[in-house]
Amino acid sequence: MGIEIYRLRRQYGAFVALDDVSLTIGDGEFVAVLGPSGSGKTSLLRILAGLDQPDAGSVYRDGQDLLALDARRRGVGLVFQHYALFPHMTVAQNVAFGLRVRPWRLRPKAAVIKAGVEHLLRQVELEGFADRYPSQLSGGQRQRVALARALAIEPRLLLLDEPFGALDAQVRVNLRRWLREFHRSLGITTLFVTHDQDEALEMADRVVVMNRGRIEQIGTPEQIYRQPATPFASRFIARGQSLPGEVRGQHLHVFGHAWRMENFVADDAHEITVHVRPEDIALAPVQSDGVKAQLLNLRHVAGTVRASLRVENREEPLEAEWNERDWARHAATAGDTVDIHLLALTVFATDEEGRIQARSTVHPPHASFPVAVGPWRRVEA
Amino acid sequence: MATALDPALGGGALMAAVASVVSIGQPAWSVRIARVVLLLAALAVLAWLLVLPLLAIFAEAFRQGYAFYLDAIKQPDTIAAVRLTFTVAAIAVPLNLVFGLAAAWSMTHFEFRGKALLGALIDLPFSISPVVAGMMLILVYGKDGWLGSWLEAHGLQVIFALPGLVLATVLVTLPFVARELIPLMQAQGSEQEEAALTLGASGWQIFFRVTLPRVRWALLYGVLLCNARAMGEFGAVYVVSGHLRGITNTLPLQVDQLYQENFSAAFAAASLLALLTLVTLGIKRVVEWRHGDALNTHL
Repeated sequence: MGIEIYRLRRQYGAFVALDDVSLTIGDGEFVAVLGPSGSGKTSLLRILAGLDQPDAGSVYRDGQDLLALDARRRGVGLVFQHYALFPHMTVAQNVAFGLRVRPWRLRPKAAVIKAGVEHLLRQVELEGFADRYPSQLSGGQRQRVALARALAIEPRLLLLDEPFGALDAQVRVNLRRWLREFHRSLGITTLFVTHDQDEALEMADRVVVMNRGRIEQIGTPEQIYRQPATPFASRFIARGQSLPGEVRGQHLHVFGHAWRMENFVADDAHEITVHVRPEDIALAPVQSDGVKAQLLNLRHVAGTVRASLRVENREEPLEAEWNERDWARHAATAGDTVDIHLLALTVFATDEEGRIQARSTVHPPHASFPVAVGPWRRVEA
Repeated sequence: MATALDPALGGGALMAAVASVVSIGQPAWSVRIARVVLLLAALAVLAWLLVLPLLAIFAEAFRQGYAFYLDAIKQPDTIAAVRLTFTVAAIAVPLNLVFGLAAAWSMTHFEFRGKALLGALIDLPFSISPVVAGMMLILVYGKDGWLGSWLEAHGLQVIFALPGLVLATVLVTLPFVARELIPLMQAQGSEQEEAALTLGASGWQIFFRVTLPRVRWALLYGVLLCNARAMGEFGAVYVVSGHLRGITNTLPLQVDQLYQENFSAAFAAASLLALLTLVTLGIKRVVEWRHGDALNTHL
């Protein structure tokens, strides 16, 4: 059953924060809502937590109308980006807060609360920090206190708002893995909001891509990468870059090459968008029939090479990404003109209102040729 | 002081002082001179305008001896005035505490029409002359005022009585608590309150366990300022009091009346008033010193 969100709409003045958003979250599922700022993801979270009301739509949890319950009684755990810990309380008091504010009939005995807090602190690996104040903790520790505090009320839905946004990169990566394992061990239905693709793709069972208040795509990280549903999803997740191209009959024309497409019907399409991912731009064997491109600059980033390429008919440089080992076989340097092959192209046909009419992925045939035939290149120390 | 205002020196000194803020390391001797000159100028102004007159009050109060001083402040009228001053402050300050909290909370946690207007209204008592504030109360609650006949018919006396004094004091000291809290609450935002709400806390629980502890030092600070002003208020209270000695005279009014008859007795009463204010300032200073961080930071 889980959570059923049906046709939510939220508008602030003329700004539409949520536009007809429907989503089903399975029991125990870990779902990431991914989108740029202003895409409506935080509005969705606040409505689920009861801190905001939608203008239209419904939310059900196991058949129960969630919107009819006020935030106090929803049993939803919310973890804020900036932790929102109570600075005048110790770690233990923070974690115990949700239990201590219960009406006395429902309030556990002091000893039970104490044991519960100890158990939670052990779970988030903060034993021995019970008597510290939040200001005495690091960012990662504070975030885990916030998590323990939210879990103390035994929520049936856990919401995380950019949980790692305020942390530095190293802590973020560690905490990410930890949280994923932690979620597996708890099995609590979790929705988490982020603008960081890496975070969403690495952690979530399913990813919801949002843009301008609408859901662009819902799918597993693999699905969204391999089959982006919209040009936005392709740009945002797979760093898809648009190429000048057009469809004539059953053929796609890009950079003077034409490839046949199967099952692509877009006769009355308003716009054709062709996307290529950085990792789908390959260096071609010398003197092949590839696309001429000039290497503008190269950045070596720990195992990958990122290059900016100037190609005809495209004003902005095209970004390509290669494996350092593959790159080492080529004798090119910045400033050289090289041949590139496009390994995979995604073609979208949209109507006048931007709705998708057809989508297809094209694998140009030359790409199946072995690529790396150049001489091994020596790198001078 | 004359040297600091001397254009030839003053201009250069100011420039040098500005430069000293940006420069790192050992400042040049001209900068050091500028610092000393500016500091001396500030101290001179303080000494001549504040410290000396304050000392003069105590000197004048004790001029005719310790026994006379005690006699003067033990006069029944003066004691009554002290008692009335405390009574008025004891009613007005809690009222403004509640008002200030409510106003600051609504200004920072709710979006509503007329929010800017409320902000302007809170500031109004700062900009209106206290005498005018007193006159406004007379116009509404006085014998010939809008509510005058209704109040008289019900046997309620506001003007020339305690209620009028309290009203005037509340009006004049209205902004102190609210103005202290609003910037702090704005900086703090409402995330912690929202967190408490999702954890199941009720409105009162949120207020007493989350909001109040976070603003307590700013609140105390505002209350102290409010109290200092409430006990020292003269203008508005003067208009609505009626100057009935021993009955509606607060301490500032008593000082004013004595001043016209008995010089030394007036200064004895004035020294009492000054002492009350100094004590308040002392507490305020301690709060600032011990909890300055809590007054300013987001925590």
